[in-house]
Amino acid sequence: MSFLSVSPLVAGVLLAGTAATVAVLYWLKPPPRRIVVPSKLLWDRLLREKRRSTFLDRLRWWISLMIALIIGLSVAAALGRPEFTWAGGEIPRMTIVIDNSATMATATSDGLTRWDHAVAIAKDLMRQGSVDGEFLILDTTGQAPALGPDDRRSALEILDGLGVSMGDPPQFPTALGPDGPLYFISDGVMVDDVPPEAEVISVYDPVDNVGITAFEVTSVPSVPLQYQAFLEVTNASLGPKEISLRVGGAGAGGLRDTMTLQSGEATQRTIELAGFDRGPVRAAVTSEGDAFAVDDVAFSFVPVRSLTRVALVTPGSVYLESVLAEEPHLRVRSLTPAEYDTAAVRADLFIFDRWAPEQPPPGPSLLFFPPNVDWLAPAVAVINSPTVSGWDPEHALMRFVSLEDLRVDRAVQLGSPARRPVEESGGADPDLSHPPDADVHVVVGSAELPLIVASDAPPKVIRAAFALEDSNFALQPAFPIFLSNVLRWTMDEQAALPRRPGRVEVSLPGGEVTDLEGQIVNTAQVSGRTVFAADEPGLYTVAAGSARLRVAVSLLDRERTSVNASGLSPRDRAVASPAALGTVGDPAEEGELWTILLVVAMALVILEWFTYHRRWTV
Amino acid sequence: MSENGALFDDDFLKKLEYLNLVSNYMVPGHLHGEHRAKRTTDSGIEFADYRQYVTGEDTKNVDWRTYLRLDKLILRIFEEDADLPIYIFFDASRSMDHGEPLKFDYARKIAAALCYIGLLNLDRVNLIGYSDGIAREMSARRGKNQVWHAFRFLESVEAAGSTCIERAFTTFFSVRRRRGLVVVVSDFLDETGFEKAFDLLRYFRQDLFAVHVYSSEELEPELPDEVVLEDSELGTTERLKVTPGLLEAYREKFDEHCDELHNYCRKYGWGYLRTSTEVPFEDLILQVFRQGRFLG
Repeated sequence: MSFLSVSPLVAGVLLAGTAATVAVLYWLKPPPRRIVVPSKLLWDRLLREKRRSTFLDRLRWWISLMIALIIGLSVAAALGRPEFTWAGGEIPRMTIVIDNSATMATATSDGLTRWDHAVAIAKDLMRQGSVDGEFLILDTTGQAPALGPDDRRSALEILDGLGVSMGDPPQFPTALGPDGPLYFISDGVMVDDVPPEAEVISVYDPVDNVGITAFEVTSVPSVPLQYQAFLEVTNASLGPKEISLRVGGAGAGGLRDTMTLQSGEATQRTIELAGFDRGPVRAAVTSEGDAFAVDDVAFSFVPVRSLTRVALVTPGSVYLESVLAEEPHLRVRSLTPAEYDTAAVRADLFIFDRWAPEQPPPGPSLLFFPPNVDWLAPAVAVINSPTVSGWDPEHALMRFVSLEDLRVDRAVQLGSPARRPVEESGGADPDLSHPPDADVHVVVGSAELPLIVASDAPPKVIRAAFALEDSNFALQPAFPIFLSNVLRWTMDEQAALPRRPGRVEVSLPGGEVTDLEGQIVNTAQVSGRTVFAADEPGLYTVAAGSARLRVAVSLLDRERTSVNASGLSPRDRAVASPAALGTVGDPAEEGELWTILLVVAMALVILEWFTYHRRWTV
Repeated sequence: MSENGALFDDDFLKKLEYLNLVSNYMVPGHLHGEHRAKRTTDSGIEFADYRQYVTGEDTKNVDWRTYLRLDKLILRIFEEDADLPIYIFFDASRSMDHGEPLKFDYARKIAAALCYIGLLNLDRVNLIGYSDGIAREMSARRGKNQVWHAFRFLESVEAAGSTCIERAFTTFFSVRRRRGLVVVVSDFLDETGFEKAFDLLRYFRQDLFAVHVYSSEELEPELPDEVVLEDSELGTTERLKVTPGLLEAYREKFDEHCDELHNYCRKYGWGYLRTSTEVPFEDLILQVFRQGRFLG
């Protein structure tokens, strides 16, 4: 028997200390109470008869002491987690590198995965090692902690903590154990830089697999109003496969197709998305006997509508009309304030120039120098030649926009909704104590003198405190970009970021991640990035304040889809038993005694309690 | 002395009056000088028996008619009432100073009650407190006016010393005593045993009524698992590991001890009564009456 958790010396000291403590406690019992009785006459008569059983009493005392010692030693020994040496082999040190690249998630013919087989083989190898030996568990994606060799139980726990990584590029680890055999358990698909001293154990099993190896939604270069999807499907099976393809998304659009691909053949398709509305789009392939499911679906996002309707309400603005006319995917309807009717006009974006309706429009709006109306924060003062103190480059409205040369001749001081308009206040000092609205962000200017503010609360409102005619904003090169940003921000029209399954990082701090069903995904913040785990392909939305990003998680990798591209022969080891695929095995089967010792201790405690209660032992 | 004041308070006296009435009902006429003991004499009124004349005896009671008919000298024997000497021995050893209520108080109340009844019955009553000998003795008294003297005597006795009833009997009966009723109120926890003492009573042809007093703690001792017992009289100690089996054996030993007493008394026609201190003393006295040995 040996100890894994403590050295034999410490274990011996622990056992000796426990035995000594129990024995001392037995001898150092508190002195008995002294009770005065009328007479000991009857007790003496009784004890004269009982004297004959003194030896039996002493024997009982020793039995009780022995039981207490066994209980204490069992518990102490259990703390040391002893193991039978026969439960292990004779290899004192070994290093096991287990391949956890994406293709290890491939199902095998027995219903398990290559990863399951690899873990079982690793455990089988560790059983061949000495129970007090050193084991180093490494993987090809860096999940295993680089703590150096560990005991067998800790190594088993490390092994159970590993899993297949879809996204991380696999690499054979460089920090290997000092000596002893080196085993590499792999399917031989993605890791090939294996050192010659490693004994490679194959878990490769030929399977069928068809996967999507490319899926991208882009606008048609010649017709910016239209989007199309580029799709590539690869047959990585060892024989021809009949494949069913389906592309679906928001709107009436959709595609169903069937194709037959030879082994190793790939086909590319360009799919028109004219019938798709703005929203997620999903491509899926199905084939009989597919063993690698992760590459069977792919996601993306159709960012904008095919045509955005803009209602421009202005007494006449050559700047806005000319810039908007240059936008190809817009349908602009120009109106004078007199022609505007809130109930009748339908548009995706309303632009009000030096005018505002009494009632808010039914959609997002952009206002330049609006007059005071009830649904807008009032203008409380007129400022001549205000200084453009700065702008928020992080805001989506100001992406790629520079206002270094912006000059404004006249602007109004915007107040909070609680502030009274300048006419009603009679020119008194505005109430500046009211806290600003949490949904309103100052995009240009300062908190004291905001020049452009944006409200996140739907419908979104962007308000400029100055007129284009009172500034050189419309003459700035950034003005068309600003309008384009307005369209993107109000229409929420950003393309999805492509990512692989696994750990996903997006450069949006403090983001909240939701999946397609609206379920919130656990996130972490690392170095100003939002990090979350996307184990399955899908479309995720990362939102932080006004910023919103969409992340399309799909495998889309021909190398990972090629699950049969292995240089190894099919696996020659069978999994010992399905039970071997569990977490840490049964301690008794693993040769550990601590559960048995605790059971023995518990049984003896019950026995001691029973005998004490019955006064068989005292 | 009781903890709450006088041992024989008004409540106690009321109970004695009640016992007196009850005894009168149970044994009619006992207050009219009818004594349970008769003694034969040659000068009484009530004829009792004949017996053979012995040379030298007075011839006044010779039945001459019988002589003429049978030619034998036959004497006529008469009997007369004799007052009954009652010797009430109460245990005043230290072992009696235990229990709740104290066995000693309980024993003194029994002694006082029996003394009271006896004095009202015009008997001659002796009160003897004993431990390893005679501790205190009240000489023979007769008549109701001696009740308070007896009560004061009982209150003045304290429990002390070890127990040796044989020595007390030897000392007491070394002086010539009339045959009478010996009442012993004790816990009978006597290292020297009771047999020799009782044999002594048989030798002196005394009648005995034993009242065995014990406390509930003696019958069902509540002891920790390990204990050192100290004898209150001798001061000796004994370390014990108390087990249910030992307690059961003790109870059997206690019953055995009581049975020895009971069997001895029954063997010689003596009265025996065992009582716990938790039993009201008046109930115990009524049991004494029912046994018919003290009165009637």
